[in-house]
Amino acid sequence: MSKTDDIRWVTQLTLLGDKSAFDKLTCKYQSPIRRFFLNLTMGDAPLSDDLAQETFIKAYLNIDAFKGISGFSTWLYRIAYNVFYDSVRAQKHYADLDEHVIDCQHQTQNDFSAEKLDIYKAIKQLRREEQTAVLLFYMEDRTQNEIARIMNCPLGTVKTYLLKGKEKLSVYLTQAGYGN
Amino acid sequence: MFTSHKLVMETKDTDKLLKDFFGEHKQEIHDNGFTRRVMRKLPEQADRSWIVWCFAFVGMMLSLMLGFSSGSIQTAINYILQIPVYYLIGVVFCFPLVSTAGLLLAQNRHF
Repeated sequence: MSKTDDIRWVTQLTLLGDKSAFDKLTCKYQSPIRRFFLNLTMGDAPLSDDLAQETFIKAYLNIDAFKGISGFSTWLYRIAYNVFYDSVRAQKHYADLDEHVIDCQHQTQNDFSAEKLDIYKAIKQLRREEQTAVLLFYMEDRTQNEIARIMNCPLGTVKTYLLKGKEKLSVYLTQAGYGN
Repeated sequence: MFTSHKLVMETKDTDKLLKDFFGEHKQEIHDNGFTRRVMRKLPEQADRSWIVWCFAFVGMMLSLMLGFSSGSIQTAINYILQIPVYYLIGVVFCFPLVSTAGLLLAQNRHF
């Protein structure tokens, strides 16, 4: 399924109000968007599903605003990014949660393995903006230009986030025995 | 010179380390009814399929008008009338077969 499919489905939705076209778009992008949220929320599956749902509903309601300049996926990630930061601002206490409490929640709510916790521990080494940039670049295979559009910041800033994130992760992963 | 070369090598190593690490932890999330839940929460929108029919009607009218005014429709009708009847019957019988084959081909190619 290519980008032309995305354009076709968006056109069907905007011109004809064809809901089934949005069903196809949701089906195609649910996995990357939910994974993006899952990593940003350090594995909180119910919260990431709620945020993903909000993202798709916002995309549906604002589909007329999609101009096709960037790809549909980039536009969707931009909405997801805004939804996540709105939620962070709304739930200040989320950021202050004790690490141990989060880990315990993960273990009870999800089928978490040590490997999965490894990635969240690694991501936690970074600042929020660095987390987003690194996840989009390494996990979601977005280009630096796309990340700049998603995060609505200059390309230079994205490069700085990635560089700093890379340095921190490299030290952490080497210490954790990944580089050997 | 040596220092910059070393730096490039280190950056490449770090990139590889991170790509491998994130690649290892990249998971596909199964839908498990997520799309259905999203679709259920979407607000209703007006059905705008009438636009297609409207354009189809206008297009058909225009082509008929142009066809009659240029005389090409009359020529086509005269041409068809000159075709022997058994040829026409053959076309009528072949049409469903050819159109079905075309449709199957189109579906296989995922147009």
